[in-house]
Amino acid sequence: MNNLIISNLSKTYANGVQALHDISLDIPTGMFGLLGPNGAGKSTLMRTIATLQEADQGTVTLGDLNVLTQKNDVRKILGYLPQEFGLYPKISAEVLLDHLAVLKGITNKKERKEVVKALLYKTNLYADRKRNLGGFSGGMKQRFGIAQALLTNPKLLIVDEPTAGLDPVERNRFYNLLSALGENTVVILSTHIVDDVKELCTNMAIINKGQVLLKGDPLKVIEEIEDKVYQKTILKNELESYKQEYNVIAEKLFLGKPIIHILCDNNPANGFTPIKADLQDVYFSQIYGEQHGTK
Amino acid sequence: MWYEIFKFELKYRAKRLDTYIFFLFIFLFSLVAVDFVYEGVDFGLVKKNAPIVIAKTMGVITGIGMMVISMIMGVSVLRDFEYQMESLMFVNPIKKRDYLLGRFLGSFVVLLFIFSSVLWGVILGEYMPWRNPEDSLPFNLILYLQTFLYVVLPLLFFGAALFFVSGALSRKLIVVYTQGIFVFVLFMLTKAIKNETAQAILDPFSLTTLSTMTKTWSAIEMNSQLIPFNSVLLYNKLFWLTIGVIALVIGYYRFSFNVVKSKTYKKKSEIIQSKQEVLSKNIKVPTLTLDQGYKAQCAQLIQHSLFYFKSILKEVSFWAIVICGMVIILVNSIGLGTVYGVNSYPTTYFIVGELQEMSSFFFIIVLVFYSGELIWKERGIRLNLIYDALPFSNFINLAGKFISLMMVYALLMTFLIVSGIIFQTVNGYYHYELHVYFYGFFVELFPFLMWYTFISFFFQVLVNRKFIGYILVMTFFILSMALELFGYGHVLYSFGGNSLGTYSDMNGYGHFLFPYLIILMYWLAFFLILFIITAVFSVRGTDTRLKTRWRLSKLNFTKPLFKLGATAAVILVLLGGYIFYNTNILNTHWTSSMKEEFKVAYEKTLRKYKYLPQPKIVDTNLKLEIYPSDRNYSVEGYYMLHNTHKEPIEEIHVQKLLDEQVTLSHVDFGSEAKVNNEYLDFGYTIYKLKEPMQPGDSLKMKFKQTYTTKGFKEKRTDTKIIGNGTFLKNNDFPSFGYYMGYELRDDDDRMEYGLTPRMSKSKRNDPIEVVHAWDGDDGYEINFEIIIGTAIDQTAIAPGTLKKKWVEDNRNYFHYKMDTPMTNFYAMVSANYEILKDKWIPENDSVSKEVALEIYYHEGHEYNLSRMMESMKMSLDYFSTNFSPYQYQEMRIMEFPRYAEYAQSFPNTVPFSEGLGFLLDINDETDVDMAFYITAHELAHQWWGLQVVAANVQGKHLILETLSQYSALMVMRQKYPEEKIQQFLKSELQRYLEGRRGAKKQEASLELVENENYIYYRKGAVNMYALQDYITEDSVNIALKRFIKNWNPFEDSVKKDRYATSEDLLGYFRQVTPDSLQYVITDLFETNTRYVNKTKQSTYEMVSDKQYKVSLSLETIKYRTDSLGVEAVIDMDDWIDIGIYAEGKDREDELIYLKKHRITDKATALEIMVHQKPTKAGVDIHHKLIDKNSDDNVKTLIEKKR
Repeated sequence: MNNLIISNLSKTYANGVQALHDISLDIPTGMFGLLGPNGAGKSTLMRTIATLQEADQGTVTLGDLNVLTQKNDVRKILGYLPQEFGLYPKISAEVLLDHLAVLKGITNKKERKEVVKALLYKTNLYADRKRNLGGFSGGMKQRFGIAQALLTNPKLLIVDEPTAGLDPVERNRFYNLLSALGENTVVILSTHIVDDVKELCTNMAIINKGQVLLKGDPLKVIEEIEDKVYQKTILKNELESYKQEYNVIAEKLFLGKPIIHILCDNNPANGFTPIKADLQDVYFSQIYGEQHGTK
Repeated sequence: MWYEIFKFELKYRAKRLDTYIFFLFIFLFSLVAVDFVYEGVDFGLVKKNAPIVIAKTMGVITGIGMMVISMIMGVSVLRDFEYQMESLMFVNPIKKRDYLLGRFLGSFVVLLFIFSSVLWGVILGEYMPWRNPEDSLPFNLILYLQTFLYVVLPLLFFGAALFFVSGALSRKLIVVYTQGIFVFVLFMLTKAIKNETAQAILDPFSLTTLSTMTKTWSAIEMNSQLIPFNSVLLYNKLFWLTIGVIALVIGYYRFSFNVVKSKTYKKKSEIIQSKQEVLSKNIKVPTLTLDQGYKAQCAQLIQHSLFYFKSILKEVSFWAIVICGMVIILVNSIGLGTVYGVNSYPTTYFIVGELQEMSSFFFIIVLVFYSGELIWKERGIRLNLIYDALPFSNFINLAGKFISLMMVYALLMTFLIVSGIIFQTVNGYYHYELHVYFYGFFVELFPFLMWYTFISFFFQVLVNRKFIGYILVMTFFILSMALELFGYGHVLYSFGGNSLGTYSDMNGYGHFLFPYLIILMYWLAFFLILFIITAVFSVRGTDTRLKTRWRLSKLNFTKPLFKLGATAAVILVLLGGYIFYNTNILNTHWTSSMKEEFKVAYEKTLRKYKYLPQPKIVDTNLKLEIYPSDRNYSVEGYYMLHNTHKEPIEEIHVQKLLDEQVTLSHVDFGSEAKVNNEYLDFGYTIYKLKEPMQPGDSLKMKFKQTYTTKGFKEKRTDTKIIGNGTFLKNNDFPSFGYYMGYELRDDDDRMEYGLTPRMSKSKRNDPIEVVHAWDGDDGYEINFEIIIGTAIDQTAIAPGTLKKKWVEDNRNYFHYKMDTPMTNFYAMVSANYEILKDKWIPENDSVSKEVALEIYYHEGHEYNLSRMMESMKMSLDYFSTNFSPYQYQEMRIMEFPRYAEYAQSFPNTVPFSEGLGFLLDINDETDVDMAFYITAHELAHQWWGLQVVAANVQGKHLILETLSQYSALMVMRQKYPEEKIQQFLKSELQRYLEGRRGAKKQEASLELVENENYIYYRKGAVNMYALQDYITEDSVNIALKRFIKNWNPFEDSVKKDRYATSEDLLGYFRQVTPDSLQYVITDLFETNTRYVNKTKQSTYEMVSDKQYKVSLSLETIKYRTDSLGVEAVIDMDDWIDIGIYAEGKDREDELIYLKKHRITDKATALEIMVHQKPTKAGVDIHHKLIDKNSDDNVKTLIEKKR
């Protein structure tokens, strides 16, 4: 199948912020998770792939298509759900979806009616299809967003932070929707929530400050830090000294007391207990580890 | 605390670009504002920086600036909501008072800064290069500051308060955009208020207020007096300030610090809990065929257009604008084609014209706002990223939005058409000309809106800032209209080409339509290219920098777009070439400066021949062939020339009509003549006769002249020879010697070219001019004979008796011959006419012969024919009885198209514009019968002008026009009651006072009047009426009879060496005036005399049942203006009407006492006994004397108990 190949992509904004720095990724069909903290450059990358932003350097290709120049051809096979979007408040879900379907090129009225109906069912919006979009909750809005992104059976589906602000129930519903997608589609999901990737993706990359820190199969990357993660419950005032001494990759509170995770090749003893590494640790090790490393 | 918020507001605004752009916008507008506001207004003696001019200009700028006020004040609270800052703001421990006060004052200070540009702009405007320093008074800073303080500041406060509050309470941006317009609507509504004072107080911009205050001011007063800040202006400002304060108070109490408005809160609660359904995973999304071909794009375009069309129709603001528009139209649509206060029938072209004029403002609002809204629609609600990732082209996207606006216009126009038809039906007019509606709206207004929508899209896309886009479009509007007004340009590059031109029932859109449509196509091609550029550069995605868009434009410029653009470019070039070929190669394109220079050159070169003796025409014998459909004519024939001078004539100077379509050829004097073509550029040829014409000699001059229409011209000035309604005059044919009519008229322009001011009339005793007749003097007594050939469906008419009529080569021929000599002044018309015939049989047939009466009219224009016919008969009766017999055997009225609106009297023929009397809807209860009056006036010219010949000097119009006004009034009095005459005279007095205000020069007396029609028509009618009232109608008529008898040059007994002047006429008046009233002649004709006549507190007392004593207290002051223009009170010893009314039948006023009293003092007390219970009484109750305020002459009497 056609992989999405990003090579040496760079982008600097007019205000001097370098959003993308020489990014190269090879994204196969299936779910691809793009993990990174806020401001890492995820959205810039997504927008660039979605033909909505120019890059300074580099190329993006999808099979034979040059994404950066053959924009309209890419748009024909593209489904895109931006991180933030609004909807016309005074029209119904059905009408807007129908309208967008026409603009996507589904001009056969019967087909369009069917696909709109099917997608509304699929996104569980069918019962509310006549309601004005102004009254939709965040989750419903997000589901509408995915419905429009799926309109044309896209070969390339880009969903930018789809679960931000959703409650757990809505999030689950959303995962179900995504996971049901065919395997022929390149699906790129950007998120800063590790669980999203863990539960859905077969491939992933972690980016921060516009650079790819890590890429691969989530299970494999977890393997790499297997047996290297230890945890300890400490006192609040000890935090700084632990940070000095160890490669602290995560700190969280449990019942009001800080628990730290450290990354260490050998058992550090000193009250640390080994734990089973998960993707969260991979993520934090990349993000924090890097910060730590720069000290 | 409030101070912190205040400071923050100032800092915030200081950083905003908008602030400076608004400043600049208002500043630039203020620079040109005086010229813009007063465009087309004749200033007369009033200077361009007179206090009233400054005040009104500032009022208008601020009025137009309402939009800016709204954008500044409206957003100051709204901003927090818009940027969703409200939760952060209101959670702070600030008091509502501090918050609102700080924000309001902060914004208001910014507003003051922005509007201070009004002051600077208008001041600097004084020094702009297009201003003539002579039009200005010395600079006076105080004046500007004071006006700013009185006029602008209160208005700013009112607007600021209102908009601040409505923005804060509504929390809607669209309210901010549109509320300025609503104040404007309010302003328009106040114009409908009948009560002048109420209107003056309620006008939010106080424009009416200022007009009312200065209504009776003379030019000198307007220049010298500051606008007093009292009476209506004070009340007006107090009223609106109060409204502003009330708004603030309401706003303060209603504004709540809650984050959500209660209304919004309700909405939120409606948020639906998604119904818990089992996710139906087994639903298969069907496989689809995606279509991006041509057909699909069409479908997308249609879908897109409809989508936005519906979305606009859902906007509340849109309907608010529409309803406001409708209200204004309903309020205003009363005055249609009004002639002297009489409305016309609501014919479709009047309705279309009115609707176009009144709706265009609202169309422009819809255009500017909704084009911006549509461009920004997705970005406004942040749907843009989804939209931009859709696989459809920018072009389809923009085109859909564009078309949706076009659909909105079309819908509104359909509304307007339907309401027009309803209006016609309600008014009992059932002749709906749907094609006129269609052309007026869809062929004329629609393209105009389309062009500006293109421009608006272009600006919005290119600058990519909504507000700035708005401002740019507005600026563009103002600029392009200003350029058009200044008369620059050519259809090829002056924005959008010309308008369609006047519609006439007779000629339809005539020859205007074809070039209009061609030019329309040309501009359509141009805008299509602009639109492609717009589409290619439109923002898609998140990169908005021009540099990126430039780079992307190459990707966006797809093959189909290239093809479309290339096609448009080819059409543009081809049509442009075709237009240029027509306007500049087939015809010469004259810019206004070229015309001026030509006129100057003509005058400078040929003026030396001004009084060169030339022969007079004594016979005219022509054969005219008119070809209406080709718009050509040819005329062939001869003039018999006669040397009436005492010296021989060696050279004959022939002046051809200066019109490049006209060719003069075959000029032949029967003997040898050397042709001098030195001045051929001016159509001026000198024939040097080998044998000079000796005094008394005659000579036949043969000639042929053709008029050939080639293609079309840039300007539509040719309405002489047209498809239906050709109207030619004698001055279209060759004339002799220097023609003064070609001289540059405007004195300012003349100065620039180094010419002395033009004297419009020579002095009354000018020995050269008194031997020239009023109409130029190529001949006075001529024998006239003409054969006119025209199209088979048309009738041609010229002076004379129709001797023969025949058909030849499928053309109609008419042979006219005048059996008595007539003046060298004739008109030839040709059109498809209906004819109404009648006869006038004189009561006393020893005096006059029978006269055939004919009205040639356009089918469907029958409304007032009987009035005109009756007027002809009654005029012939009155004039032949009281002045002298009618000299011809027939009298004809011929309708001509409304390209010009006048009627003119030629020997036994009166061409009468269709726009003047034919369509008047005269209500005999309320209106003056103007069809009757104008007909009588024109018939009077058969005596005044065609029997008595006035010399071409000052005062000639006293003889020609004032006497015709008098004659028509007397005929009208035969038919209509005195009240109608009073109604007419009162409006004539008003028109005189209005005309006087716009006067450029020192006002002349009637006997020395030049070309000031407000004097010779308006004041003339009033004063002649007064004269006959003082010395009786019979005496006036005796004087006029004598005057005609002695000054009619057609009578063999009358042989004078000059023509009549006003001095001669006044001599006859004085002859019949008793000594005690000689002063009246002086007052009415020889000087400028006016009165202040006023009745003060007056009472009556019941003496007995049949005896009432009325005690009147009068103020009468008589003013006279001397030769220097200084007005002073003079002593009086005058006879003035005193009248007393009682309540008569039907509660109407009944005049029970009317008598002239001798009045000698400023204050007079009179006691008069009457036999009925009096109600009102007064002085000069019928307004026979010129008085600026005619409303205080009569007063209600108060009963005095014993």
